[in-house]
Parts: sequence; structure tokens; C-alpha cells
Amino acid sequence: MKTIKTLELVVAAWFVAASATAWSQASETASSPANAQGASQMAESGAVAPAGRKADRALRRRVYAAIGKDKEIRAGDISVIAKDGAVTLNGTVTDAAQIGKVEAIAKGVSGVTSVTNKLTLKKPLGGM
Amino acid sequence: MKFKSSSLAVLIVFSAAAHAQSSVTLYGVLDSGLLYQSTSAATFLPTAPNLGHVYQLKDGGIYSSYWGLKGSEDIGGGYKITFKLQGAFNTMNGKFGLADTPGTTALFNQYATVGATGPFGTFDAGRQIVPMIYAMAETDVRGAQYFGSILTAWLGINQAAGWPGTSTNAPIGALYDSNALVYSSPKFYGASLALEYAPGGVAGHFQGGTRESAVLKYSNYGLNLSAVYYNGHDTNPFPLTYPAAPATPATGVNNNRFYYFGALYTISGFSVSASYAIARNPARSNSVNFEMASGGLGYQFSPAFKITSGYYYLKDRNNSANHSSEFALGAEYSLSARTRAYAQVGYVNNKGTMNQTIIYGAPVAPGVSTTAAMVGIRHTF
Repeated sequence: MKTIKTLELVVAAWFVAASATAWSQASETASSPANAQGASQMAESGAVAPAGRKADRALRRRVYAAIGKDKEIRAGDISVIAKDGAVTLNGTVTDAAQIGKVEAIAKGVSGVTSVTNKLTLKKPLGGM
Repeated sequence: MKFKSSSLAVLIVFSAAAHAQSSVTLYGVLDSGLLYQSTSAATFLPTAPNLGHVYQLKDGGIYSSYWGLKGSEDIGGGYKITFKLQGAFNTMNGKFGLADTPGTTALFNQYATVGATGPFGTFDAGRQIVPMIYAMAETDVRGAQYFGSILTAWLGINQAAGWPGTSTNAPIGALYDSNALVYSSPKFYGASLALEYAPGGVAGHFQGGTRESAVLKYSNYGLNLSAVYYNGHDTNPFPLTYPAAPATPATGVNNNRFYYFGALYTISGFSVSASYAIARNPARSNSVNFEMASGGLGYQFSPAFKITSGYYYLKDRNNSANHSSEFALGAEYSLSARTRAYAQVGYVNNKGTMNQTIIYGAPVAPGVSTTAAMVGIRHTF
């Protein structure tokens, strides 16, 4: 039982550490908005003006809607963060060709000015 | 000049179309590593003695090694006929993977399917990895890997439910089903459905040996959701002492039911997952009735490097003394597009008769805690 408690603590610590990292990124963004990559990663932090945040969210939804239309690509495995037209893609796709395809789809969405592509390939279990 | 380049483009398009009409691909993966484990056992019996710590060369740190052939033929109108033959093998000794009869192996134990794909979706007939496993993998940060994941947790339930590990017939759910017919729908605003029916082929029994399952999935806006229902009749008819004792004749008894709900969310480099499942034997729920819960957290540091972790909890609803907690942490580094190196550690605290493993294929001693560590390499061809 004691070990379970310890394990739970470890897991909890992981989550806290993770969220702390996310927070420090946010404050970095606030102090150095010139860092485009960092800024796009934390577009939804409190550092951004409400109007801009609303536009960013709308753009994020439009990019997801465009990716979601594709028959093969699983948009649930992809993180889209929008910040003043700059879109950052994170997450995984199941086929190497989809890395470029998702980027092309995102670039084709109106309002997107640049795309930072950090997508990686993740082969599904037992698949090729 | 302009005309020439456009006619060249037309030619290229045509040759590409001709190429797409029919293709066969030979492919595979080899996955080998060095494993240390602090306890071990010879069998999955709840009374198996602890044989002590073990150092071994081990196949399948991420997934098993396998090879296969797949192909498709374009029959026009957006329809394709496809086939897939795929078999697991063990890089340690070259042996093939388990079949559906205890003590035997099969050349194509993972896939032996012929199917069709088109605007209606995909249909595959034959032995295959069933939709419930994909639904679980897609809602587990550890991706249902062979080392410490929702797969080893689900297998832990099966071991507790009497699975001897000598065939692919699981008492609860399935990884592979023989004789399976699987339909997968196209995506509709991110939602999709997969249905499986496996006729039993048992003379005189319509229900004998049948399997039916349904999987509902959603995948959009960075969110994956999965819901699984699996039901099997006459599941795992082979006694522990088979072939000395014969297989139980199929009677159509409903003895394998599994429900699973899972979610995975990806935001920036982070991924977070959680799941809950109920597993029971409807014919004997006083002896087989389990719960499974999981949580996962991962971070992708760069396109080449990621860390994933997961926590897996199993509980016997008939006997509170039997429960199991597992924690696994793994790092993967891509050396090239086709080769990755990995290091992972796992800890499991088994109580009562539980024997949840840390890695598939390496039984741990029941009722005690076990630590394991593995480094290895996975190469795709």
C-alpha cells in the first residue's frame, strides 16, 4: 500500500513538473514575444490580449477543421497552436507522407501566415 | 517549352497511376534489447515460484519483431482490393509467433487478410489484430507497447483470468482473432466506427466460438476518444494441461466480455491519457471480474527524442487482496528515419495472486514487486 502511495506521488510529481514547465514557457513568452516559436507554443496563455486570443482560437479551429476533412489523417494526434497567424504543429502522424501533407493543409487555411512543423512519425501497433 | 513540360507532367501522372494500380510491399521490423528483471517465473500460474532475477536478450521492447507482405489492386471507381500477410518472429531464436492453438506457432500469426477498401470504408476478412487493440493503443501515451503499457495491463487481467500465455486465445478481449470479419467506417467529422464479427465455424452451434466487437472512435482537435465493447463465446477452450487434456467442446457459452473507455489529448509537445475498463466472464462473473485504470504522460523534446510514462492499475472485484500497480517510463531516440534506440524502466507491485508483467513474454513472480530495465534498438526495413 505504501508503495502505491509512493507511486501515486511520483505520478503526481510528474504532472506538476510538466505543468510547471508549461507555465515557465508561458512567462518566457511574455518576456520575449520576439521568440516566435515560444510564442506560438503558448498562444492561449494569459499574456495575450483577449481579442488576439479569440482570433487565435478561431484560426486554430479552422486549421483543425481543414485537417479533419482528410480521410487518412488523425487530427486527434496533432496539436495545433495558432498565434497571430503563426501556426505550430506538434504530435504524430501514422505515415511519413502525412508530415508534409498536414503542413500543406495548414498553409492553405486563410489567415495562416507561417507554419512551424514539429510533427513526427509514429507507426501504429503491428502496422506499417 | 511550356507545352513540353506539361506533357511530361501528364506522362508522370499516368505512370504514377499505372504504378498505383497494383503493388506488393515486403516490409518488417527487428526489435532486440537487453533486459534485466528482478523476479521471474516459468508460468503465469498464480502459485508459480519466484525463480529470481534474470538478465536476458529480449525480443520486442517496443513491439514484436515482424515481417510481412502487403499489396493492393486498384479496381477503379475508388475501390481497391487489398491483402496483408504478417507474422511476428522472435529475434532471439528465430521462432515464429503464437497461433490460436496452445504450443503452436503460425507463419502469419498477426495478419492473413484479404479485403476491400472504398468510399464505404474498409472491410477485411481473416486472422487479424482486432479493432479494440488499436482503440486502446490510440488512447495510451505508451501506445500499447510491449514494455509497460495498456497492452501489458490488459494481458495482466488475462493472466489473472487464467490465460496460460501459450496461445493467442485470451479469456478477456483479444489481440488477434482468427476467422474475423472486420468493417471500419470512413471518418465523419473525426468520428469512426469499427465492427467485428467472427463466425465460430462450430458444427451444430450458431453461437459456438463466435466473437463480436464494436469500437467507436473520435479523433480531432488534438483529442482521441475510444469506446470498446467486446464479447466472445467459448473463448480460450484449451485447458492449462492441453494437449494432455482435450479442448473443451464449444457450447456457445458467453464467457468473454470487455468494456473500455479511453482518452488521449495532445497539446504542444505534451500528451496526456487516461482510461478505464471492465473485464468479466458473464458465465462465471464470480470468478472472473476485473477493473483496469490507466494514466499516461509524455513529452516530445525534439522530433528525434521523446519520453513517455504510464501508470496501470488492476483490481480483482471478487477478491480485494488481488490488485496490481505498474509504473513505466521510457525514452526513445531516433538515430535515423528507420532506426531508433530506446531505454525503459518499469516497476510493478503485484498483490495477492496478481502477476501483471512489465514486458510481454517475461513472466514475473506473482504477489511480489518487480523492477525491470531494458535498452534496445528497433530497426525497420
